[in-house]
Amino acid sequence: MIRVQDLTVAYGAVKALVDVTFEARTSAITAVLGANGAGKTTLLRTISGLKSPVAGSITHDGAELTLMKTEDIARMGIAHVPEGRGVIGEFTVEENLRLGALTAKVDAKQSLASQYERFPILGERRRQHADQLSGGERQILSMARALIANPAVLLLDEPSLGLAPLITAQIMATIKELCASENLTVILVEQNASSALRIADHAVVLNVGHVVANDVASVVAEDEKLRQYYLGMVR
Amino acid sequence: MNRQRSPRGLSAAGIVIAVAVLSLLVTPSVRDGVALAILMMLTVTSALILLPSELRRARPVLTRAATSTMVVSVTLVATFFFSSTTDFNLATGAAMAVTLVGLSFLTGVSGQVSIGNGAFMGVGAFTMAIWSNHHATTPIAVTLLLSVVAGALVGFLLGLPATRLRGPYLAGMTLAFAVAFPAILTYFNSWTGGDGGLQLPNAANPPHWLNALFVHGTSSLTSSTLWLTDITIVAAGVAFFFMANLFSSRVGRAMRLVRDNEVAAELVGVNLNRTRVLAFVISSAYAALGGALWTFLNNSVTPATYSFALSIVILSVIVIGGIGTIPGALIGGLVYAYSTNVINWITNQTGLNPQGNFASQLNGIIFGGLLIVTMMLAPRGVAGVYYTLRRQRASKRGDVASPPKETYAEA
Repeated sequence: MIRVQDLTVAYGAVKALVDVTFEARTSAITAVLGANGAGKTTLLRTISGLKSPVAGSITHDGAELTLMKTEDIARMGIAHVPEGRGVIGEFTVEENLRLGALTAKVDAKQSLASQYERFPILGERRRQHADQLSGGERQILSMARALIANPAVLLLDEPSLGLAPLITAQIMATIKELCASENLTVILVEQNASSALRIADHAVVLNVGHVVANDVASVVAEDEKLRQYYLGMVR
Repeated sequence: MNRQRSPRGLSAAGIVIAVAVLSLLVTPSVRDGVALAILMMLTVTSALILLPSELRRARPVLTRAATSTMVVSVTLVATFFFSSTTDFNLATGAAMAVTLVGLSFLTGVSGQVSIGNGAFMGVGAFTMAIWSNHHATTPIAVTLLLSVVAGALVGFLLGLPATRLRGPYLAGMTLAFAVAFPAILTYFNSWTGGDGGLQLPNAANPPHWLNALFVHGTSSLTSSTLWLTDITIVAAGVAFFFMANLFSSRVGRAMRLVRDNEVAAELVGVNLNRTRVLAFVISSAYAALGGALWTFLNNSVTPATYSFALSIVILSVIVIGGIGTIPGALIGGLVYAYSTNVINWITNQTGLNPQGNFASQLNGIIFGGLLIVTMMLAPRGVAGVYYTLRRQRASKRGDVASPPKETYAEA
């Protein structure tokens, strides 16, 4: 479980997040929604230690993360799939997957095999260079890479970015399955609110750094005001 | 499985024995014959290991060991028959290739640029020379290792700024070291011998164990300078074996990840600073080994050799060979080794005055010209051309067919 308490993050004088408080439960998907510049990516970057907060705390099962180094947070089992996926085009699919096991204490061979079993498409393309993959395959690859280290928490930044609606739906279904089968704590940052709300258990809506809603996903999905003003969803 | 392999094993053993007997018959001295026979056996054995493609795929470390052994033993056999000039050129190429593969690793794998590798070479060269002058009895392998350690240490100190500096700024810092290095050497002239440099004390004497193997002068290996060549080639082979493993190791992958995507590297738990400095340390250790081998081969060393110009030549030669590849470093080493011959040939053919202005600049002109041509026609060097051609051929055959887009939809 990830607990974020009164988190404030600033870039110079500009505050990206102000007093953000929410909880992401285990075996549940917490969607973080909002427009461009709402602070969604900053939130994930702060959780994984790429950015230090001005104030507030982030804990994972009681352990304080805000003072830890990025690499140590990663080794704790908090896997961050960054925006744009962080897939290395000139590496083969297998090499990309092995990157996930670089510092983790896992049996790389066995871990690779289990990812190929979970995502057969990666097994078929294991010797191909990642720049030959389609957008959806790349997203799968980056998630599989995060899963190699058997993480407890999965932070996903805009997995639907640049994908066709059909592929987005498939990716979302995969996330849902993973969350249930691996007992993951998933924090899903999305601009594509309707896709995210379809699979999320809980939803946090951000607007210029402030939390404007923090509720069960179905409640957020039905709230006419939130839909119209913050999520850009028109019926 | 075993039953299937035994006929292949038998025929392999047959070939090995036949080759051994042949080489014993061909060579004049029996002891040379024994040496050649052993080398031939090594060649054939490693070739046989490399033949089955399943094994190549399943055992990459064994494959690299067999490849290194094969290349080294073939070269060693060849050195018995080549002229001493060719042998010297080959060994110079091997020593330079060790330096180049270190730079290739730093630039191609870790993505950092160093213009100071000529000076790192000098660190190894002078460690070798100074140590042998004070402790003449130290075995060659130990002295070489000491030079590597010295290079690694200096590389570590100069690599520390890599935690803060990037790209051209880091390159600028290494440039400062390369420019200052000859002056540093001259300043400590009581150690380095000043402008005159140093001679190795027991230059002409092969080490005891080689003598013991071949007993007084019966072998051309110990009666000429052939042993210098062959030790250099073996040392280079070992260095290349380690580097080939490093390229595709966990550490190598971490470095390529840091080069391509720092954020992704941090997110999988890689320490950026440690990785960057480590690349520097490895690269300078290899440069130092190259320098030490070069000193060993020449029996002497002078500060003038390790001027700033050498660093630039090293950089151009690795670009010509192909940055970020193992064969690129070998090609670059040979290009360097034969450049003097080519330049002399040109001077002779054109009737230029060898002491003249133009002839003395010919080196720079030729390397500069080659560099421009390479950058325009084959930016990834000679080795890059080969890899591109191979990839094209493979995709024509359909091995690496371009996948249809969005195939995940059907998955």
